[in-house]
Amino acid sequence: MGRVLALIAAVALAQASSPVRVQPLDGSSLVDPFAAPANVKAIVFLFTSTDCPISNRYAPELRRLNSLFVPQGVLFRLVYPNPAEDATAIRQHMAAFSYAGALQALRDPEHALVKAVGATITPEAAVYANGRVRYRGRVDNRFVDFGVDRPAATEHDLHDAIAAILAGRPVPHPETQPVGCYIADFAR
Amino acid sequence: MRIIATVVAALLIPSQAPSVAQAFRPAHPAAGSPEGLRYRESGTPEGRYRASGSPEGRYRASGSPEALRRESETFSARSAVASPTYARDVAPLIQERCAMCHHDGGSAPFGLTSYSETKRHAAQIAVVTRKRFMPPWKADPGDGPFAGQHPLSEAEIHLLQAWADDGAPEGDPHDLPPPRVWSEGWQLGTPDLVVTLPQAYTLPPDGTDVFRIFAMPIPTDRLRYVRGLEFRPGNARVVHHANIRVDPTPASRKLDDADPEPGYDGVIARSADYPDGHFLGWTPGQVSPLLPTDLSWRLEKNTDLVVELHMQPSGKPERVAPAVGLYFSDVPPTRTPAMLRLGRQSIDIAAGEPHYTITDAFTLPVDVEVEAVQPHAHYRARDVRGLATLPDGSTRRLIDIADWDFRWQHVYRFVTPLTLPKGTTLSMQYTYDNSPANARNPQQPPARARWGQRSSDEMGDLWIQVLTRTDADLEALSRAFRPKVAAEDVIGYEVEIEKHPDDAGLHDSVAMLYLELGRPQPAIAHFDRSAALKPQSPQAHYNLGTALIGARRLDEAAAAFREALRLDPSYANAHNNLANVLLAQGRTDEAIQEFREVVRLQPDSDAARKNLAAALQRIK
Repeated sequence: MGRVLALIAAVALAQASSPVRVQPLDGSSLVDPFAAPANVKAIVFLFTSTDCPISNRYAPELRRLNSLFVPQGVLFRLVYPNPAEDATAIRQHMAAFSYAGALQALRDPEHALVKAVGATITPEAAVYANGRVRYRGRVDNRFVDFGVDRPAATEHDLHDAIAAILAGRPVPHPETQPVGCYIADFAR
Repeated sequence: MRIIATVVAALLIPSQAPSVAQAFRPAHPAAGSPEGLRYRESGTPEGRYRASGSPEGRYRASGSPEALRRESETFSARSAVASPTYARDVAPLIQERCAMCHHDGGSAPFGLTSYSETKRHAAQIAVVTRKRFMPPWKADPGDGPFAGQHPLSEAEIHLLQAWADDGAPEGDPHDLPPPRVWSEGWQLGTPDLVVTLPQAYTLPPDGTDVFRIFAMPIPTDRLRYVRGLEFRPGNARVVHHANIRVDPTPASRKLDDADPEPGYDGVIARSADYPDGHFLGWTPGQVSPLLPTDLSWRLEKNTDLVVELHMQPSGKPERVAPAVGLYFSDVPPTRTPAMLRLGRQSIDIAAGEPHYTITDAFTLPVDVEVEAVQPHAHYRARDVRGLATLPDGSTRRLIDIADWDFRWQHVYRFVTPLTLPKGTTLSMQYTYDNSPANARNPQQPPARARWGQRSSDEMGDLWIQVLTRTDADLEALSRAFRPKVAAEDVIGYEVEIEKHPDDAGLHDSVAMLYLELGRPQPAIAHFDRSAALKPQSPQAHYNLGTALIGARRLDEAAAAFREALRLDPSYANAHNNLANVLLAQGRTDEAIQEFREVVRLQPDSDAARKNLAAALQRIK
């Protein structure tokens, strides 16, 4: 038991100052997305968009992961990379999908964070801990391709990555390929 | 012989109507649960008259094959031009092939009617068209042509890819095609009657696909002739497709009422059927055309629409309130299609089996025109093929789907009906992948899969709607086809009975089929089981007695009828059939006594009086 505790204690955000800046919804000045209170052990960025059906279908699963890991010192931040989605549209989206009050949200219209973590798809997750991105990719393997999905996921990559990081273990699959909408399209 | 004929015709008591009537239903099926005596009809259908001449191009697709080819050539020419632009190249393509769903208020999740909307999906459009996920058309583009077909040519797909790769340039707005206005109203015009759910259903935000069945009472006070049905999903974001049937019995309504929420989970009642051999259903972007008035279907009063919605949760709770518009005709139909069904209910796929095949075939005894086909299978099916082999050995493909997707259950309606001569063999071959490599497999790890209507079970049917040249041909087709489909249904019932051995309704239904197939022994076994399951039911003993007559086990039959009468002394059919047994046993006096009882119970029945008179004649 003592050994496990020691390992957990070793997990930290270990933030150095980052040059990446994103927009908070309240319109105040740009913020560093990697900045967080000292007790936060990991940040999960969830790239999403308001009209991507696959992204939206993950809302209940993302809320579940959020409530599971928040008590363990994990911070979940929704990231909206589509410049056409303003704060009002994002607030409406968060209310409709019951994210409001549970998850933070950031706008990334310049794709600064997108590029920093290498995200390409909504929905896509990036988990930041120990000063680097430890996991980037799909939430789980439910969606295999457009029009091909499993009735239920059999591999829960994001959950397993967060659990591994908190336990001080290596992440089993640090990179996976999500299925969904292309962030590149939002840059046009 | 007279006894058996009378008796069998009276045997319509089981609460659950047999499913065989569904697969092939001539114009005017017998009612489900008659009261009192029923005597066998001559078997001649009511008169139907067929207009002479063969209809051409009854259902118009957006373009004839020639037109489609021309368009493809035009687009090929365009794709050869360097640097395609939105205005000149992409917009016309999207407008014609995608925008009927991808417009504001359409069934697609986002619109594609402006440059700003379209460029924000450029890479996605390139990928989903290359994978042929969009436009959603699972049939081989070479088949048909079918109504509502919007395939993209390879050249068009390359054009979309090149446009996305170039950064999705807008081009010169002067090149834009004239904008199209998409009507949000009923596509077939104002319906004569709109049927809605009394109460909307709320789809939960999470989980896998939901299949829910809604019984929607049709408020009509008389017989109507329906020439069109348009389905509006109410919430196109989550309603993926709709299977629609009509149920002349209260069976579906009872199932719906038994569930406190709107609709019910489970399977469509066997009494809910396609009406008079007409497909009903909806998939996004498809509206079935109005039928010619001579081809309408009959809608009796007190009939329910049965709508099975396939819904995909969106991530938030969704309100679903579909509406169905009905379009009536003043004149009765003069022609009735036949609904043929190929397929197997013996499906039994071992866990992990990657390549399981079923085949079926039927040779047409008459000339037909194929109007439409609808393949049906669940999540394990991989490729789905239907073929017509003509007497000269040449073949015509009915349908060919190399990557079956349960979610796109189109009715494929030939733009020009396919004429097939007598002696043509219709065949089907479906393959299934029950291995873990099939991501859609509903069981992980895979488990043995057998036939069944739940989406976790498997099915394999090819429905084929045909028109015959004459009523006599329809009758001949019916006679040839009925035993085949009844035999297949028996297999399905036996599978269901294995799962639900104490469901008396299943035993009753399969027993009816066995009787129809001239197999009294298994019929007796199932009615016996049914009577044991519901010993207080007079009908159960009556049915058993009736089947025993078919096996010439007259003493046992008499005992069964007496048990039915002990439970219900006023059971006229039981008196009648007991009388027939007694007559056959030479116990004429006792028979007359029973016939008198029938007349007493049913003083208005001519048939009862005739039976009594015939019996009295014997002792003279």
